[in-house]
Amino acid sequence: MEYLLLKSIDTGVLLTVLGIVAVLSIVFAVLIVAVSKACAVKVDEKVEKIKEHLSGANCGGCGFAGCADFAKALAEGKAEVTSCGPTSNENKQKIADILGVPFAKTEEMVAIVHCCGGDNAKEKFTYVGNEGCTEEIAFMGGKKVCPHGCIGSGTCSKGCLYGAIAVTDGVAKVDRKKCTACGVCSKNCPKSIIEMIPKSAKVYIACSTLCRGKDVMDACSAGCIGCGLCVRNCPSLAITMENNLPKIDYSKCIGCKNCVLKCPRKCIREIV
Amino acid sequence: MGQFLAIVVSAVFINNFVVVQFLGICPFLGVSKDFKSALGMGIAVTFVMTITCLITYPIYTYLLVPLKIEFMEIIVFIFVIASIVQMIEMVLKKFSPTLYNAMGIYLPLITTNCAVLGVAELVIDETQMINLLGISSMNMGYAVLYGLFAGLGFTLAIVIMSGLREKVARLPINKHLRGFPIAMIAACFIAMAFYVF
Repeated sequence: MEYLLLKSIDTGVLLTVLGIVAVLSIVFAVLIVAVSKACAVKVDEKVEKIKEHLSGANCGGCGFAGCADFAKALAEGKAEVTSCGPTSNENKQKIADILGVPFAKTEEMVAIVHCCGGDNAKEKFTYVGNEGCTEEIAFMGGKKVCPHGCIGSGTCSKGCLYGAIAVTDGVAKVDRKKCTACGVCSKNCPKSIIEMIPKSAKVYIACSTLCRGKDVMDACSAGCIGCGLCVRNCPSLAITMENNLPKIDYSKCIGCKNCVLKCPRKCIREIV
Repeated sequence: MGQFLAIVVSAVFINNFVVVQFLGICPFLGVSKDFKSALGMGIAVTFVMTITCLITYPIYTYLLVPLKIEFMEIIVFIFVIASIVQMIEMVLKKFSPTLYNAMGIYLPLITTNCAVLGVAELVIDETQMINLLGISSMNMGYAVLYGLFAGLGFTLAIVIMSGLREKVARLPINKHLRGFPIAMIAACFIAMAFYVF
């Protein structure tokens, strides 16, 4: 081998080749540098500064194509700082200072899945087919009897950049330590049962059904039957009934957990 | 005039880079989903092909051939194409932001487009060019013209493809054929149509 390789190399040709490549590299390097100097485009300084303070998660939760796009929209006044989940309040304040707009501290949020069905919810049939909640819904509205609950096929967890949401026991659960409230999962969920709630919240409604009591009894052993006990037992009047489903106003909730204790179906749950 | 026509017909139809020579298939299938981006890609490729021919032909003829290092052509050409694309991108960004935005991501993608390297390789192959075009000897003018019309041929193919795919997307097609499979079949028919020439 060495005989073939070493003896067949012509030093003259080798030098010419190296020389040509070197000359061409230098020529093009100089040309590119010259062109880039001559064609330097002024980038808005604001955009660069804003980008520095953004979290850089590129999750797309704000509705723009990544942080760079969001920074541009912010500088042009087309977006609001508050629509970013992952960026900390400190950095948001700094961005608001750069933009010269007032900024009210937003409460730290976290995603919550309004369903605890999973294995509690009865199935109409065994689904065999492509994975994904949308795919499952396409076939007879999904395998669960309950029309509103979690499908449990993990479309939310596939979209999550932080690995903060996963399907356990047939229902999606949020890892509160990892969640940044970017909102991608709630956009991805075809049943729209994932919501952002304040991180300080003590209780949540673990059901999304709008069905009548008897239908719920047939469909799920943990579904809300709309009895209204929680509404009547709430000392701060934070719970209201809407379409057979209780809704908690977290600005009024004092975290007494009366509702958790009174709920006969155990579908108002404590956040641990 | 006759030679000019020969170049046009040869580059655009008879030896169309995409559907006859099968070069540049990836943008042909990847960027042909809608008409607008297909046209943008076509224009960008035409632009780069022309300038590539303008630079690689003299480099080959007046630098590599006299030094007898023709085997370096591919490396040098790739080098030249990548540098040109870089510079064109910067120039466009400065002088024509609208065109820059229209071409967007497609311009840097052209760096690795084999159709561009293909045209640079083809125009230096003198015997083949003489056979193709029926000219007595090759020169720089022919090379640049061939590059321009090869690019236009690419544009034609990708635009036809995008039009077909836009139409096909609205048809009730069986699920197993929807999307990419039907695009391949459409490409096959376009190629067959071009073989008429």
